[in-house]
Parts: sequence; C-alpha cells; structure tokens
Amino acid sequence: MSDDVVGESVEAESAVAAVTASDLIIRAENLTLRFGGVVSLRDVSIEMRRGEILAVIGPNGAGKTSLFNSLTGVYQPQEGTITFTARDGAPMSVIGKKAYQIAQAGVSRTFQASRLFGALNVFENIKIGAEDHRGIGLVGALLKGPRTRRGEHESDDVVIELLEFVGLKREANVIASQLSYGARRRLEIARALATDPEVILLDEPAAGTNPSEKLELAVLIRRVRDERGVSVLLIEHDMKLIMSLAERLYVLNFGSVIAEGSPAEIRSNPVVIDAYLGSSHEETVA
Amino acid sequence: MTIFAPANLKRLFTILMIAGVIAVMTGTPGSSTAPPTTGIHGSYLERVSWFGLFAVQRWFLFFTLGVIVWLLVSFYRPRARTIRHGFDSVLALPKEITAKRPTRIVLILVALAILLFLPKLVHESFWMYLIVEQIGVWILLALGLNVVVGFAGLLDLGFAAFYAIGAYTTALFTGALPMPALFHHPIPTLWVIPIGILAAMIFGVLLGTPTLRLRGDYLAIVTLGFALIIDDFVEIQNGVTGGGVGSTPVPHPSLNLGFLHIHWGISPTPYYYLCLLFIAVFIAVFSALEHSRIGRAWVAIREDEVAAESVGINPLKFKVMAFAVGAASGGFGGVMSAGLVGIINPSLFTYQISVNVLVLVIFGGMGSIWGVALGAIVIQTATIYLDNYQPWGYQFNDLFMYIGALLIVMMIFRPAGLLPSRRRAREFAEAKGGDDVHTDEVLTGEQP
Repeated sequence: MSDDVVGESVEAESAVAAVTASDLIIRAENLTLRFGGVVSLRDVSIEMRRGEILAVIGPNGAGKTSLFNSLTGVYQPQEGTITFTARDGAPMSVIGKKAYQIAQAGVSRTFQASRLFGALNVFENIKIGAEDHRGIGLVGALLKGPRTRRGEHESDDVVIELLEFVGLKREANVIASQLSYGARRRLEIARALATDPEVILLDEPAAGTNPSEKLELAVLIRRVRDERGVSVLLIEHDMKLIMSLAERLYVLNFGSVIAEGSPAEIRSNPVVIDAYLGSSHEETVA
Repeated sequence: MTIFAPANLKRLFTILMIAGVIAVMTGTPGSSTAPPTTGIHGSYLERVSWFGLFAVQRWFLFFTLGVIVWLLVSFYRPRARTIRHGFDSVLALPKEITAKRPTRIVLILVALAILLFLPKLVHESFWMYLIVEQIGVWILLALGLNVVVGFAGLLDLGFAAFYAIGAYTTALFTGALPMPALFHHPIPTLWVIPIGILAAMIFGVLLGTPTLRLRGDYLAIVTLGFALIIDDFVEIQNGVTGGGVGSTPVPHPSLNLGFLHIHWGISPTPYYYLCLLFIAVFIAVFSALEHSRIGRAWVAIREDEVAAESVGINPLKFKVMAFAVGAASGGFGGVMSAGLVGIINPSLFTYQISVNVLVLVIFGGMGSIWGVALGAIVIQTATIYLDNYQPWGYQFNDLFMYIGALLIVMMIFRPAGLLPSRRRAREFAEAKGGDDVHTDEVLTGEQP
C-alpha cells in the first residue's frame, strides 16, 4: 500500500513538470450550456493537467457550478467537447455519458450543499462509495460466494484507510447528519475518494466551516493530491484559501472564461479585479 | 417540559379530536327514523355509565378517557437513548455493528415454534383457510412491496398487478383459462410456482425499465395506471381470461416423490406450511439483499439519488432490480391464491388490494422486514375478527374507516411504523427537523 502511494506522488510531481497533450486529464473545449434563453456557459474552454490543483473562481452566478455539472454529466452542454483521459491513456468523451458512468470512469465530485446519506453513519457513507456497483448480480449478492466476500473485505479496508486519511476514525459510528460542518466536508471528500478516482471535483469544500476547519481542509486537499496522486479541481469563494492552495486558476464571469494563470498573475489581472469590484471607477464617472 | 407547554397542549387537542372520532366510530349506526338517538348526534349524546359511577353523555366519557391518555403521555419519560449514540465514537467494524442480540434469536425461535404448531391449535379449517388466505398471502404481498417502497423508496400504487400476474399465470399454465395452456399441455400447479415468480419479475422489469426514470408522484401515477390496465384487461378479455366470471378451477397442487406424497386439497393445512416455507425463504432472501451491496445502493438512491449517482451507482438499474425482486413475492402470492381459492376472477385484484398492501407496509414500518410482517399479521387478524364477529354494530365497509383512523393515529405518534427500521426512523426525524423531533422523541422514544 505505502509503495503505491509513493509511486503515485512521484508520478504527480513529474506530471506538473512537463506538460504534453496526453498529460491533460480533462480537456473541455468551447462548451456552451443554455437553459432556454439563459446562457449559463458561453464558449468555455479549460484544460486540466494530471496531478495539479486547479481552481475555478468567479462572482456568484458566473457559471462555476454549471461547469462542474457539465463535467460530471449532471448537465449536458449543447455545444463543445469534454475529454477525460484516464491514467491508462484511453481518452473518453464525457458528453452524452450519464453521471454514474463518468463517476465509474474516475471523475469524482462533492457538492456545494453537502449531500451525504444523512440517515447512515460515517462508515456506511464511505462504504457505499467504495463498493463496485458495476458487476452486481442478484444471485452473486445473495449467495455470498468468495468473490462477493472478497469484495466486502476490500471495500471495508478502503473505508478504514480513508477514515484514517480524513481523520474521521473516531466518528465512524456517528450518523452523518449529526456531524459538524467541517466533519461533513471531510466525509464528503472521503466518500468521493472511495470510488478510487483520478480526479476529484470539489464544489466549495470550505463553505460553512470555521477558520480552523478551513485550515484543516486546505491541508487535507493538498494531501489528496500529494499522497494519493488524485488531481484536484475546486471551486471556492474564500480567496485566501484558494490563493494558497491552487497552482493555477481560471476566472469565470457571466459564463465566460475571462482569465487564466497562476495565483500571482490572477491577483494582478485588471480584468479580474474589474469583474469582482464592478466596472472600473473611471468608466462609471465618465 | 411543563405539562402546559404549547406543544403539550397541542397534543391534548389532537388526542381529544381522536377521542371524538372514536366516540362516533363506536357509537350507534345512523338511522333516518329516530335521528336524535342515532348517528353522530346519538354517539355523543347517548347516556352511558361513567366507569360504573354515574350516568353521563358519551362525549364526556370519551373526553375524560382522552385526558387520562394525555396525562399518561405527558408524564411518560423514555430512557434517554440519544446520548449513547452521540458519543459512541469507538470504531466498530461492520461485523460488530450488525451483530445480532441473543434475545432476538430466542424471540424468532419462539415465534417459529408457535407458527409450526399453529394448525394443531386451530382446529376448524375455516379459520385455517382465513389464516392462509387473509394473513399468509398478505404477508407475502407486504414483503414484496416493502422492497419497492421501503428499501428503494419508490411509491408503487399498483402492486396488485403482480399479484394478478402470478395468479393468472398459474391459471394459464394449468389450463384453467379459456385460452389454451401453453403448448396445449397443462402442467402441474406445483411446477407453476417458479414460472409464476419469473413471470411477475419479467413484468416488473418490463414495467420498470421505461417508468422508473420518473420520480415520486409521477411514478406512483404510472404504477397505478399499470394496475388498472391489468385489472381491466382480465375483466374485458373474456376469451383469454374468462372475464368477470373468472377461470375454471385451478387444480390443487400435489407432490409425489415416491417416498413422500403431499396433496394440497380441501384442507388448508398443507397450504399453510407451503406458505410458511415461502415466507421464510422470502424473508431470508430479502434480508440478505438488504445487507448486501444492492441493499446499500437502494438506501443511497432512496436518500439522495444525485449523490448516489456521483459515486457510480446506476439508479435505473437498481430501481428496476427492486421492482423485479419485489414482484417475485407478489407473484408467488398470486400462485398461492390461485391454488388455494381455485377460481380466480378480477375482483381479487382490484385497486383496493394495492392500497391495502401499502397500508400494511406503512403501518408495519417501511423498510423493516419484521415490522412489515408483524403489521400484516396485526391488521389482517383485526380484519378477520371484525368481518366474522362484527362487534360494536360493525358493518362490512366500516373496515376502511377504522384503517384510515389507525393510519392517521400512526402518522401522528409513530410515523416510522410499528417496528421501524432504524434508518427509516432517522430519515423521518431528519425530515421533520427542529422542535418537533424533540416532542416526537419524548412520545415514542425514537432517535432523532
């Protein structure tokens, strides 16, 4: 197990170093998403490199969550292409696929308002994520043959390992709806990681948490990439958090990408400042 | 909590309303000839004895009873179970979580012993027949619907359709329909059991695949439509199903293995054991499924379909599976009925049956296998009693009034059912939220 982790993190570092086309884990080109007359995404193109922590920021209603939902199959954009390239190198077109197929392929996500299975305990929540939902037959599940039992043990092992990874081991028996906000956020990340993804999409992971929980989450998100080799794409409103965490950012406004670059570049980009503070003072005065 | 807290006064009001309704339900039946002393009027004003002490009007008797119940409820303090869960922070492995308590095993053994010797205790075959037809078959139906409604959270208002498919498949394959049996070769009734189960499952898949993309109310309407179609089909197609008159007698099953010869005939006892055997099998299969990956996927879909999909669960596949699995026991119920009753006709499979089965599931506790079985036993036993003894001026259709009242009371005081499944009870508490959880918890000892 530990050998695996080391191997993966080395792989992750090398991926950041040299970028070629095959190193792109997600490539979305010219996405346009409309709801009736309302354009939610307009000609959006983003590229995500394998092993990076990428962030999407923008004012409220800029289309960040729409972009996430398009990438994970919840929405189907009318125009554009999305390609997900798994580690084994087989590119997959995401558009037209169902959300569960995309999840099975290795793209996992969390939700803005956390969507845990509230009546189940922490252990069960993660276990549902860890189980393989593809090859299930009625007969196999009933007879509990060696394969089914081995599957059970494997997913239990995954759950225990993840409980330790996110620091919820002591809360394994607690009902999900009774957890604190910070713990819920960590549980959601654990459940998403349980599907053994290659990339994880975090939709405002720090929403509703207090400052110390925010710090813990930032550490956890970095560990997801460093120790597990999972690429991270995140939406976040907390600028301090995102500037310290993200290696690269895309800025969305009114459904379009208005800027892309490193945190330092974004911070000093006048277009971005405009988008966040409204049109510049000179213009309004004139 | 003081006794005069607003929430507790609200409860007093509810209990008094219920007392008023019970007063009417147990009162004299209405009559147009002597209005002042009959009907609703009479139910309240009739003079009765107040616990043998003095004469009062009925409303006063029932209201004092209501106040007594209210006082008992107000001072009842359940053991505080919340605390244990909140601080239970030791990592327990799944084995330990699901470990069965010995008391439960003893209970099951005692119940099993009673069930096995029941035919020795009930001498009249009239009662045995009712036990099989009114309780046994209904347990099968309730267990099947519980998979659909309780496990997967899909509202199915047309479960009687699968019951009908099981019964008519039996009639078809044994040659009891106007339509000739398949290959013109009737087969023994016993062999139809797997065929009937399979036919119901296939219809479950056929109905489920297009319709289970719908959610909530829409699914309920479609399943209702499906049941009405099946009901109408068997009623209208005289040449195929015998129409309203029904089938010719379905032959009683018999089993001859040389050393073992069983004939299911006029005596209901062999049917009783057959039914018991299959109830045991279905309970074993359904509870194994509940605790398998499939069961957990059902819970995930029931709780949050979007989240379930985000971890790679194909909702449609698992919902169709729930439909097919549930249909299996419904279909077997149909085979049982056809063999036992002999002549089947559309009046056995009306919309009313679907609703009644749903009532059993809700009453017993959605998602709880033992709860649903117990719920079916309680309600169906009460039904048999009311129909055959007709106490308190009971008339045949009054049953629905009583069941309606029972459901209302259940929803107020024990919304998760008689023997609630732990998960379902939590879901109910979660859905209610806020202060109400607290009052509910005080009243029923449920976990919030």
